[in-house]
Amino acid sequence: MDAAVVAEDLAYAYGELVAVDGVSFAVAPGEVFGVLGPNGAGKSTTIKLLTGQLTPAAGRVAVLGLDGVADRAAIQARIGVCFEEKNVYPNLSARENLRFFGRLFGIRELDVDALLARVGLSERGGDRVSGYSKGMRQRLMVARALVNAPDVLFLDEPTDGLDPVSARTIRRLIRDEAARGAAVLLTTHDMYEADELADRVAFIDTGRILAMDAPEELKLRHGTRSVRVRLRGAGGIEEQVISLDGDGDTDLLADLVGRPEVLTIHTEEATLEDVFVAFAGRGLT
Amino acid sequence: MSWSRTWQVLRKDLRLGPRSPLVLWALVLPVLLTLVVRGVFGGLFASEPRLGIVDLGSSELVAQARALEGIEVTVLDAADRLRAQVEAGDLDAGLVLPPGFDAAVRAGEQPELGLFVGGESLASDRILLGVTALDLVRGLEDDRAPVGVEVVLLGEAGVPFDLRMLPLIVMMSVAIAGGMIPAAGLVEEKEKGTLQAVLVTPATMSEFLLAKGALGWLLAVAAGVMTLAINGVLATAPTVTLLGVVLGAAMMAQIGLVAGAWAPDTNTLFAAWKLGGMLLVFPVIFFVWPDLPAWIARLGPTFYFLRPVYAAAVEGATVGDVWLDLTIAAVLCVLLVPLTALAGRRLELRIGAGRATTSAAGQV
Repeated sequence: MDAAVVAEDLAYAYGELVAVDGVSFAVAPGEVFGVLGPNGAGKSTTIKLLTGQLTPAAGRVAVLGLDGVADRAAIQARIGVCFEEKNVYPNLSARENLRFFGRLFGIRELDVDALLARVGLSERGGDRVSGYSKGMRQRLMVARALVNAPDVLFLDEPTDGLDPVSARTIRRLIRDEAARGAAVLLTTHDMYEADELADRVAFIDTGRILAMDAPEELKLRHGTRSVRVRLRGAGGIEEQVISLDGDGDTDLLADLVGRPEVLTIHTEEATLEDVFVAFAGRGLT
Repeated sequence: MSWSRTWQVLRKDLRLGPRSPLVLWALVLPVLLTLVVRGVFGGLFASEPRLGIVDLGSSELVAQARALEGIEVTVLDAADRLRAQVEAGDLDAGLVLPPGFDAAVRAGEQPELGLFVGGESLASDRILLGVTALDLVRGLEDDRAPVGVEVVLLGEAGVPFDLRMLPLIVMMSVAIAGGMIPAAGLVEEKEKGTLQAVLVTPATMSEFLLAKGALGWLLAVAAGVMTLAINGVLATAPTVTLLGVVLGAAMMAQIGLVAGAWAPDTNTLFAAWKLGGMLLVFPVIFFVWPDLPAWIARLGPTFYFLRPVYAAAVEGATVGDVWLDLTIAAVLCVLLVPLTALAGRRLELRIGAGRATTSAAGQV
């Protein structure tokens, strides 16, 4: 299947500051692709390059088989973008916001009620957005990104700072859109979100991709596998961490499992942040 | 360029208009300025003396009265209706000319002439209408006045001061509605990030700017026409007046778009508008004090739409009289088009780079 999004050796700099440096990846239809990195890593610039807001200094962008520079208008008709900034019209209602953006896509009969229902804003759809909470605005922005039933969805930190209910609503929508066949590219510095949602993730730092694979693969390949065993000893409760990667450790674990002193046994899986730290030498925040 | 998308942006702004204090201010301003200027410099509550005439014969006085300047003449068909209107204050005074009045006067018969005067009319109007009536009768008799009156004009001859202030009121109305509204709207969309959201849809910067400019142009034309109408000068030479307002609105809308594209935030925009506004407004000084050298006024671009509006309103100028000024105004409008497009292109690049506003974090 042809990739919905292709980035090849993308580069961009703001004056002296290199924001994106040789970034390459591809996103397939129906795939959720997470771009993880700390603030200033180049995530937002990558989205701007892919959505036609910036022109690459070098490299190539292709979205839905169209050239990112030459076919910008055609691409923008088929994508949905959700920004990190809450940039909706505060003096319009949610309905008016959605209708307006729908008409910019040439959609006259937009099913606003259905969209509002999907993001849980049905009851407040007629209210001016200025009275909305941060979570409600974010949900409206996601709804706005869906007005044209996009083939590619770009989401820049879609759940950043949201309450759990709003975040869950948005994550469910992301899964639904991917199931519909849309390619979803989301940036985040929330490793748990990426782990939960993304089929593949790319770690980006100082404008470069450090690693890219399925979260499980990255954790298995670059993390450490271990088991934490708590047991009652002569001097009280003792704890042993047994690595599953070293020779002979599995025998120790097997030996412990049958003993009556064992209180609990927990697997210790590496997190995506552990993997990122292993690559970048620093955390995601 | 999609006219449909341009219309959608314009329609959104028209919907938001009544919720914007600036739009409301732009429409109220002409009325307020007119009230202030005419209140201070006269003419606000003054109306022409109103004379009613009932001609029971076919007197020449009716035509002569109608030819007089500064008096509003109404001809009625019955004396009781005339009396009722004077009593009601609809007329300041009324004359009833009996049948054969002109012949009787010429025969030296001294016929009776009834003059009703409204009790609530101004004393100055009563005197004026009374003297005028006697003068008209004397003219009918070919009688010469018993004294010769030498008229001495005190003060400068010329256009009344409140009329000389007209370009200032027009300028303020057109500048606020045509310039400030697109500029402030553009800056607001930058600050709120909504422009960025629009630009990742099929809508383009050109369509967006055209819609913003069209809003300013429409409001400026409305404000300009309203200003001229409430100042009672719209009907004098409507073609020239409207042409001047239309060109002025187009000029100010484009200047507003350039300012809005450049200004990183609302505070900077307002500060710049105050400074730049002086450069745009200064030609009005030369209409208020016409003895100042007019060539200086011609250095200001706004002169070229203000001059036709003023000439049409005050002198009844035709298109032929002010064609050069109108042409220069039109040329300036055309020259502003590439400048506006360039400003839009630069703005688009700055938005992408996160440098369009002072509040943009410059996300990387």
